[in-house]
Amino acid sequence: MTQHLPALLFCIPLLTAISMPMVGLRHRRWCRPMALAAVCAMSVTAVVNLVVVLKFGEIRYAFGGWAPPIGIEWVADGLASVMIVAISLIASICLIYGGAVSPLPAGGRVVLYYTLIMLLLSGLTGIVFAGDLFNVFVFLEVATLSTCALVGVAGGKALVFAFRYLILASIGATFYLLGVSFFYAATGTLNMADLAQRVPALLASKAVIGGLVFMFIGLGIKMALMPLHGWLPDAYSHAPDAVSPLLSALVTKVSLLAWARILYWAVGAGTELEATQILRLVWVSGALASVVGAFLALTQRDVKRMFAYGGLSHIGLILIGVGQGNQTGLAGAMFYLINDAVMQATLFVVAGAAIHQYGVQTIEDFGRLRGRAPWITGPIIIVAMSMIGIPPTGGFFGKWYIILGALRSGNYLAVGAVMVSTLLTLAYFIRLWVRVFGGEQASPSTQRVEAPFALRVCVGTLCLGIIALGLCSDGIVRLLLDTTTSLGL
Amino acid sequence: MFEFIKATLQRPNYIAFVVLFLWGLYIAITHHNLVKKLIGMYLVQTSVLFFFVTFSVKPGATVPILQSTTGKVQAEAYANPLPHALILTGIVVQVATLGVSLALVAAIYQKYDSLDEDEILKRLE
Repeated sequence: MTQHLPALLFCIPLLTAISMPMVGLRHRRWCRPMALAAVCAMSVTAVVNLVVVLKFGEIRYAFGGWAPPIGIEWVADGLASVMIVAISLIASICLIYGGAVSPLPAGGRVVLYYTLIMLLLSGLTGIVFAGDLFNVFVFLEVATLSTCALVGVAGGKALVFAFRYLILASIGATFYLLGVSFFYAATGTLNMADLAQRVPALLASKAVIGGLVFMFIGLGIKMALMPLHGWLPDAYSHAPDAVSPLLSALVTKVSLLAWARILYWAVGAGTELEATQILRLVWVSGALASVVGAFLALTQRDVKRMFAYGGLSHIGLILIGVGQGNQTGLAGAMFYLINDAVMQATLFVVAGAAIHQYGVQTIEDFGRLRGRAPWITGPIIIVAMSMIGIPPTGGFFGKWYIILGALRSGNYLAVGAVMVSTLLTLAYFIRLWVRVFGGEQASPSTQRVEAPFALRVCVGTLCLGIIALGLCSDGIVRLLLDTTTSLGL
Repeated sequence: MFEFIKATLQRPNYIAFVVLFLWGLYIAITHHNLVKKLIGMYLVQTSVLFFFVTFSVKPGATVPILQSTTGKVQAEAYANPLPHALILTGIVVQVATLGVSLALVAAIYQKYDSLDEDEILKRLE
């Protein structure tokens, strides 16, 4: 029974997505309970899956009973299981929030909203578990298409940006597919475990290197890596408030996870990979993204755009860890990835609440919150602590391990980039704090708005999550280190 | 250099792939009309699928159905079915992408009454 858990985790959101329109067109008010039940079931299954994986070792699931090199294989190792727990818990919180911020999220298109979120979750589950390059492509497309539809679901301005995202993301997916076809032409297999045995000997071949670079470009568009990020700020800042926390927390992070998987599990980082400079490409582009993204965040006026650029710089930080080619850096990056998902969700939940309740649009408007909205300003302090990296929060430990990894490979430029990006992060949060805690009260006439109970639950849970990730960092990082020992780094 | 040109000219299918890919990319980047952008995107996708098919051709091979169950299977007599299965999946993905993007274009056209990107961005403000 337990070996079916990964497939079950995928089936829950998929089957809910299929049945949602059938039920929802008749009884619209059933949609929300259905979706909540599905994410709760998913969370429970994910936790059970994690426990089983920790106890009995990784699960390799061959779909349809076809043995791996020929059939499609899913791998639920420690990394994937932790990620799926994080994804399902964040999705539950975002769904609770989605109903709290407005009774009818996404401009009243309730059925579509919940169906698309379920489809997105099934796509993300697929990317996390897939042990096959082509399977990753298919689920990337499932996730991308549902993301586009979610951005544009409420209509209006967001439609244009959803279209732009769709074009860019499809071209990105095509680049990825091109990389996959190079790999297939060179090795004759698409299974990651199989590739790990054949690729290292072929790393001198131009086809394999070209394939890797094409995959990096393709996934770079999906993860909004700095020069390829054009679609993200507009899409996230115009997406409905009920949607943007989920997107910012999960979509780009899972693409990054897919890249880390390909780099270390399918190609296998070793001396051969060191010789090809791919890792240098990864960390240099990460360092650029982390510094330039934080700098651009500093120049924004719109709150959601500022947070979106902040997210871009954090993608860069994670890539710095991934590009170090040692276990500490990789485990630190994966730990930071989980943290970043929680932090981004919190930021956009808080921004959505501020926009919805107090009409905050720009940084200047944040003065309105002063002394009125402890449920908004408090979480901002905790998230900022984590994003800057102040000890009890998870962000500190993530950055710590990334820096340790960089020091271990003697890469002082990367350490410098992490430091500079941290300082810039501090700068843009100080800009926000000055408005909230100092200066003149903007407009005394605005009334204090009571935060809805559901919003308090979401924000409280997310903040607790940030601190808990810091307190439990030792256990999680050790688990991630255990998962990566088999790579022989 | 001469060797390289000779080797390239012997593989016209790869030249076709590169031309289609770059052409599609060029259309998707430079044109302001949303539908033309879509056509460019479609061309890029199709070119990669074409590339996949073209390198997996096996001269003289037949459909991958066993012709006799007795004796040793002659692997070289059959085409590899895997690339074709992948391409079929790829085509399905491509059609789904096209469907979603056409729906978005239709919604944009209804709202802004234009397909020109500059015009739409002007009306956004």
